[in-house]
Amino acid sequence: MISLKAYLFVSMILMVTGLVVMISRKNIVAILLGIELILNSAALNFVAYSKYAANNLDGHIFSLFIIVIAAAEAAVGLAIVIRFFQVKETIHIDEASELREELTR
Amino acid sequence: MNYTISTIAPIFLLPFFAFVLNCIFIKKIPKIVPWVSVAGIVGSFFFALAVFCDFMSVYNTDYYIHKIFNWIDLSHGENVFKINLGIYIDNMTAIMLLMVTGVASLIHIFSTWYMKGDVRWERFFVYLSLFTSAMLGLVLSDNLLSIFMFWEMMGFCSYSLIGFYFEKEEAGNASLKAFMTTRVGDVFFLLGILAIWAVVGSVDIPSIYAAIAEGAFEGKSVFGIALASFAGFCIFCGTIGKSAQFPLQVWLPDAMMGPTPCSALIHAATMVAAGVYLSLRMYPLMYVGELNTMIAYIGGITAFGAATIALIQKDLKAVLAYSTISQLGYMVLGIGVGAYNAAFMHLVTHAIFKACLFLSAGSVIHSYHDKYMPNMGGLKKKLPYTWIAMWCCTLAIAGVPFFSGFVSKDRILGDALFMLYTNNAFFIPAILGFVGAFLTPFYMFRMMFLTFHGKNRDKDKYDHCHKEKLTWNQNVPLLILSVFTLGVFFSGSLTGQGIIKVVSPEGKDWFKVLVEAPVQTNLEKFEGRKKQIFSFIDDRDKTPLPQTNYEHQSGFAGPGYDINSEEAYNDLHHAHVEGAILSVIIVAFSILLAFGMYIFGWISPSFFYDKLSFWVKAIKNKYFMDWLYIDVFIKKGLLKLNNFLSWFDSGIYDRYAIDGWAKVNKVIFKASHWFDRVVVDSVAVDGTAVGTEIFSLVTKSVQSGYIQKYLIALVGAIVALAMFLGF
Amino acid sequence: MFANILFSVSSLLVISSCILMMWTKNLMHSCVYLLGVLIGVAGLYLTLGADFVAATQIMVYVGGVVILMLFAVMLTGGKDYQSQTQKILNLFPSMGNKYTFMWGVGVAFVFGCTLIYFFRNLFSVIKVIESDDSYTPTIERLGELLVTDHLVAFEISSVLLLGALVGAAIIARPRKERPAFIDDIVDDHHHDEEHH
Repeated sequence: MISLKAYLFVSMILMVTGLVVMISRKNIVAILLGIELILNSAALNFVAYSKYAANNLDGHIFSLFIIVIAAAEAAVGLAIVIRFFQVKETIHIDEASELREELTR
Repeated sequence: MNYTISTIAPIFLLPFFAFVLNCIFIKKIPKIVPWVSVAGIVGSFFFALAVFCDFMSVYNTDYYIHKIFNWIDLSHGENVFKINLGIYIDNMTAIMLLMVTGVASLIHIFSTWYMKGDVRWERFFVYLSLFTSAMLGLVLSDNLLSIFMFWEMMGFCSYSLIGFYFEKEEAGNASLKAFMTTRVGDVFFLLGILAIWAVVGSVDIPSIYAAIAEGAFEGKSVFGIALASFAGFCIFCGTIGKSAQFPLQVWLPDAMMGPTPCSALIHAATMVAAGVYLSLRMYPLMYVGELNTMIAYIGGITAFGAATIALIQKDLKAVLAYSTISQLGYMVLGIGVGAYNAAFMHLVTHAIFKACLFLSAGSVIHSYHDKYMPNMGGLKKKLPYTWIAMWCCTLAIAGVPFFSGFVSKDRILGDALFMLYTNNAFFIPAILGFVGAFLTPFYMFRMMFLTFHGKNRDKDKYDHCHKEKLTWNQNVPLLILSVFTLGVFFSGSLTGQGIIKVVSPEGKDWFKVLVEAPVQTNLEKFEGRKKQIFSFIDDRDKTPLPQTNYEHQSGFAGPGYDINSEEAYNDLHHAHVEGAILSVIIVAFSILLAFGMYIFGWISPSFFYDKLSFWVKAIKNKYFMDWLYIDVFIKKGLLKLNNFLSWFDSGIYDRYAIDGWAKVNKVIFKASHWFDRVVVDSVAVDGTAVGTEIFSLVTKSVQSGYIQKYLIALVGAIVALAMFLGF
Repeated sequence: MFANILFSVSSLLVISSCILMMWTKNLMHSCVYLLGVLIGVAGLYLTLGADFVAATQIMVYVGGVVILMLFAVMLTGGKDYQSQTQKILNLFPSMGNKYTFMWGVGVAFVFGCTLIYFFRNLFSVIKVIESDDSYTPTIERLGELLVTDHLVAFEISSVLLLGALVGAAIIARPRKERPAFIDDIVDDHHHDEEHH
């Protein structure tokens, strides 16, 4: 029988890799890819716990919702990316920093 | 009669409102100013008359009105500091009120004639109203503090009135002299008030009486002097200054520089009366302080000395001025020998006849346009009404029987004689009093003879002088006043000693009965009394008193002498009779001498000039008092001290203390400037700004707008939270 | 036995794909590696007995999201692909450089340590249920749960999807030309600022 720790280890790898992608990439689409990784790690955790800790299907339900939300997020996020590209003609994340205070001194 | 605000306050407030209104009117409508003043004082007279009638209808020595209201209340918990003002009316106050308002009314009326057309004559009435209201306020006051305030108001008014013709240098000097001389007494008066406050804790007269009756002053001393003596002396010094007694009498003769009606007011009804009135009010204090001998000495010396100076004066008003000092000396002598009643009676009678004399003198001077007696003579035909009034007053002041002066002055002399029998210490004051009584008729008759009788010595002025007609504001006030110089108004007997009674034996000797000396036995009524708040309905019982046992009220006698015994009563009666006979003989001789010298020419005045040349020289220089004060005290002493202090002030204090302090301040300034510039400005203010800026840079860099940095921060926060929760 | 083999293959696919995804500098490759990750995760779902979830994963993610990603990459591709430098890490500038990777690895390391620490504590708390490897289909029970216990969340998610659909369409739609007066206003505004 596969232990819970194995799933959690895989989930952790997904999570950490997603974090690295989100922080190190400057491309907005790549950052969205990182987000997908993190969402998958969370969903995997839900299902794993659903089997090993709760013994019911609530974790599956939550995974489904996570997938739904990920789809919606991907749709809206990519729409924003396209719009951003139309305005700025780039998808570099540092271009989207107009809310900062200008460092005058 | 209810004693409320509406019945008492107008006595004081009507003249005061007249003053206030006149201050407004004098610039716009000066014509009505005199009439406003006259209306004010006459209205006040009627209110005073109502009070007097009430007191006469009650006819009780124990009857008094004392009402207070709170003026200052700084009490906090146990510490009581409260000053009440109020009114205190007893028989004496009622008589004073009537006298002051009556005399002042007549003086006001006379002034409308005398001052008419004079420079600034409307302004004169402004001062006159304030002066009168201050005196009335003083008389009504129930405590020494408000007495002191009104006292100072009168000092200011007398200053203004004496210096009324301030174009003349003498007038300005005289007003300053009066102001500064009385100030010496006032300082002591204030000190006395404080001393009384320290003991009694209050300065209203009934409280002081009650404290004296309880023996609050016993065993207390200040600077090694008994406190009662100290307080009594200080207050008596106020009297000395205000009533022109011996050491400080120099201001009163110079006070003639003012217009004559104001001299009448100062010399008769208000200013000098206030001093004696104060001493009479504080009589128990002097009694407890055993100051009677000193007071008698001062009174005797004043009475005699001023009378001698009056002998050789050429100025009509100067004679009257010195006679005023002399008569005030008699009053003080009366206080000293315990003749409380007689001293107060003399105050009233003197106020009336001296006011009349001054007004008459004003009438003469105004008609004749000269004030020097050597230029007068034979004015009887030109000024008949003035002549009559002035003769009445002269007889009164001289102490001729049936006139008021005899009644009052010879009762003082009788008491002095009685004290001389019982106590050797009173020998000199009594003798001085009798000698003064010899001199008084002489100088008064001399004045009358030189002014009205004999031949005229200046034909131009005599022809120029119009014959006097009876006018309501020139001679009618004089005649009214001269009526009241008769003794019957003040005494049941014609002579005042009970020798020739015109009414039934226990009859209308109202003055003696009502004015009772506040000696130890009578003061007990003030113990445990309740204070009445003002506008309280008066429901005291007004039982008439048995009209015996009031024959004798002498305050004190020699040791071991029972005042109330039959023997003492007989002695006193004998002394009074002897004194009366003696003074009648003295007056007769004096009048005879005056007649012989100035009418019949038996003796020439130059005979005395030659025989007593040294004495005359002293008299001419007013006993060198002015010289002593001005040339010795002021020029040699005070001026030197003044110069020394000035040198100290400018040479040492200014140079070293002030300038040195300035240098110290400069150094401090530089140091603080450096501190301000470097420490405060650079470090504190700019440092704060720089710190804020650096902090803002840090926080700004956190808010970079780069979303990945936010993510890093978020992860950091999650880790930190996990650590916090986990550990 | 089959489950163990499936788990090994799937987890190997997941780990290798995500590491490669992290490593690669080409966005297109990255998307493809994401595809591998998602398929691997679906395999893991299968080892956990979650057949419906695994199916959804493959349909929604592999069929929808990744295709969407690829379209987005193609639509927004441009300058970034042309500015190529010699250094390996800077081959595609918008895909990060060594500084950003240092930051990312550092943060991830700290976060991973924290996670390990927590998992270690967590196992003393959670009571793991020992169950047999018997497989039962979950579709019927999930359907019941979605329309009974989780009905509200189900309905809200439908509204969310609708909103996301409409919102994405509106946001990504090409803009019309701005009216001229807005330009005038903006110009005036700039003009004023210059004066100030």
